[in-house]
Amino acid sequence: MANLTIKSKKDNSYDAIVIGSGMSGGWAAKELCEKGLKTLVLERGREVKHVQDYPTTNKMPWEFEHRGTIPEEIKKENPVVSRCYAFREDAQHFFVKDTEHPYVQEKPFDWIRGYQTGGKSLLWARQVQRWSDFDFEGPARDGFAVDWPIRYQDLAPWYSHVEKFIGVSGNKDGRDNLPDGEFLPPFELTAGELYFKDFLRKNYPEREIIVARCAHITGNAEFYAKQGRTLCQNRTLCQRGCPFGGYFSSNSSTLPWAAKTGNLSMQHHAVVHSIIYDEAKGKATGVRVVDANTKETTEYYAKVIFLNASALNTNLILLNSTSSRFPQGLGNDSGVLGKYVAFHNYRAGISGEFDGLKEYTTEGRRPTSGYFPRFRNVYTQETDFLRGYAAGFSASRSMVNDYSGIGEELERAMTREEYGPWRVGSHMMGETIPKEASQVSLDPDKKDAWGIPQLRVSLDYDANDEAMIKDYLEQMTEMFEAAGFTNIRTRDDKRAPGLDIHEMGGARMGKDPETSVLNKWNQIHACPNVYVTDGACMTSTSTQNPSLTYMAFAARAVDHAVKNMG
Amino acid sequence: MDRRSAMKQLAILTGGAVLMPACDFSEESILQAYQNLKITASQKELLTRIIATVFPGKVLKSGPDLQLQDFVLVMCNDCLDRGQQETFVAGLQQWEAFSNNQYGKKFSQMNATEAEDCLRATLAMDGEGDEKKNATAFISTTKRFALQGYLNSEYFMTEIKPYELVPARFYGSKKIETA
Repeated sequence: MANLTIKSKKDNSYDAIVIGSGMSGGWAAKELCEKGLKTLVLERGREVKHVQDYPTTNKMPWEFEHRGTIPEEIKKENPVVSRCYAFREDAQHFFVKDTEHPYVQEKPFDWIRGYQTGGKSLLWARQVQRWSDFDFEGPARDGFAVDWPIRYQDLAPWYSHVEKFIGVSGNKDGRDNLPDGEFLPPFELTAGELYFKDFLRKNYPEREIIVARCAHITGNAEFYAKQGRTLCQNRTLCQRGCPFGGYFSSNSSTLPWAAKTGNLSMQHHAVVHSIIYDEAKGKATGVRVVDANTKETTEYYAKVIFLNASALNTNLILLNSTSSRFPQGLGNDSGVLGKYVAFHNYRAGISGEFDGLKEYTTEGRRPTSGYFPRFRNVYTQETDFLRGYAAGFSASRSMVNDYSGIGEELERAMTREEYGPWRVGSHMMGETIPKEASQVSLDPDKKDAWGIPQLRVSLDYDANDEAMIKDYLEQMTEMFEAAGFTNIRTRDDKRAPGLDIHEMGGARMGKDPETSVLNKWNQIHACPNVYVTDGACMTSTSTQNPSLTYMAFAARAVDHAVKNMG
Repeated sequence: MDRRSAMKQLAILTGGAVLMPACDFSEESILQAYQNLKITASQKELLTRIIATVFPGKVLKSGPDLQLQDFVLVMCNDCLDRGQQETFVAGLQQWEAFSNNQYGKKFSQMNATEAEDCLRATLAMDGEGDEKKNATAFISTTKRFALQGYLNSEYFMTEIKPYELVPARFYGSKKIETA
């Protein structure tokens, strides 16, 4: 028996374990494997192989039984995921259904999850804007959360490292609040967007529209061919998985790259119960895993553990990793684990029409849009709310057809090719303030199918968010009107937090172990061989889409871990 | 309401004179493909006539040529909630009697022009009372799904306005030739 234990311990031992194969876990795995560490990646969901497991990727619109619509029965059973814009007939198989993985909503929270190889990196909107020191210095300047233990210069080389590998299309805009990166050729702004950009230059010189930087390959094809990827073909069917590898996902890029080193082991259907802490050694020694199908428990061991389970699941695993040293969860000496969770405020939007530029239209499809970098409270505090918002902005033109008729009149109308006015639109991406009351915790009674406590989520908007929504709508309306846009409509869809799919924090980084969970290298203060480099590590949220920053953190943390393994 | 009494009600509403090849209402079977709707082959036939009126095939292929009756029923069966389904089915069941009362002729007996006018008038109607509401909802739902099916059909997306699966380009300021 003793021999057996020793043998299984040896078989189940690795240099490193990565929990989660999504955006940041894939990056941790790639970097660890490249540096020669035998690495086990634990993925709780099923295997999704690049290309061969994208069943809908080459389907034509008419090949979907309901032409994209999700049937009523599925919607009724899964109201949360059904509210996600990308949960459509072509990509529904990559989303977690509400019924399969319940959680407790103390306040309404739409938790969007992807349990499979690559996680949500298959489904993301691929926006990759860098943070700047206006973001990292935010909490210290404005007196909320805690000071970030790093600044832009600490992360800049890692942003570059990540961007070069994943492929980022963008324009060097020279903005101090949205630093330039390693860019492949940008997508074009449309004539309508260029008009608005020019309008802003003349009337609001501190505001600018740029083309949003996105993780798509638009050049240097030879370099990306080594990953088995090629140029984006403008299909904009990304959520199905891309047969060209035109956008970045773990499936198309980091995981196959890691596998090529011979150092990667992937374990699917591996639901992590907790991280094992050895009190005698004063460090984590491994991970306790429940097989999703057989529900058998297995332990895996490693010198270093990367926790990349997605922001809230990472909190859950840490909270569930209790020992006599850490009765409130691994590394939770401060008591802040699970607290100061925040997200992005995507509630408001605006649309309108523009009656000019009649001689222009657009052709083809573009997997990104215009982007309005944050202009509120950047250099000084100028409003009655803290922080600010970035915004998407797009202007496009399409054919209009009058489908109101019956019979021959309708058939003729359907064949007509007549351009409508330019349509303009924007949606806000507001920074929210992490607060102690915004938290996740373990339900004392309810458990999931694997015996793991269900997560309780208690997040909400606050007065700062409401003030920001008001300001966004006022400012956008004013600019739209002044630019000559008509039929302006504003909206506040009152969506619950979560639909932004940018939940962050709970195991925040900080200088002081008394008020934070992670140090400046993403190590748990009191258990430094555990690194958290997904959304859980975030001290504040900024306005920029966060995935690029998680990837940069993951690469930087692996570098640190390997240099310090001794 | 069970199927038998639904059929009886239909018979009463329509004065027993709907076009039903099986003749005996009580024995006409429910189409198994649309479990949530519980409609008969003859009701589907009537729906097909409506779709043929919306898309008669004068400029493009006709709606029935593209099997839009199947698509409309699939969408109603799978993508409407219970209440919407009940309204749709009630509207379909009452359609012959309704058109007779409202326009002086059963829809199935109208010529093409009359049928078109009847659909136009029904779509423009202010729905007072259940029967009017059901009829308007039934026709507008039928037209909406038929149009969706048409615009997303292989025929339309290859021969009339070709869809590109792989555009491989994007131009933000394309000059319109004829402008």
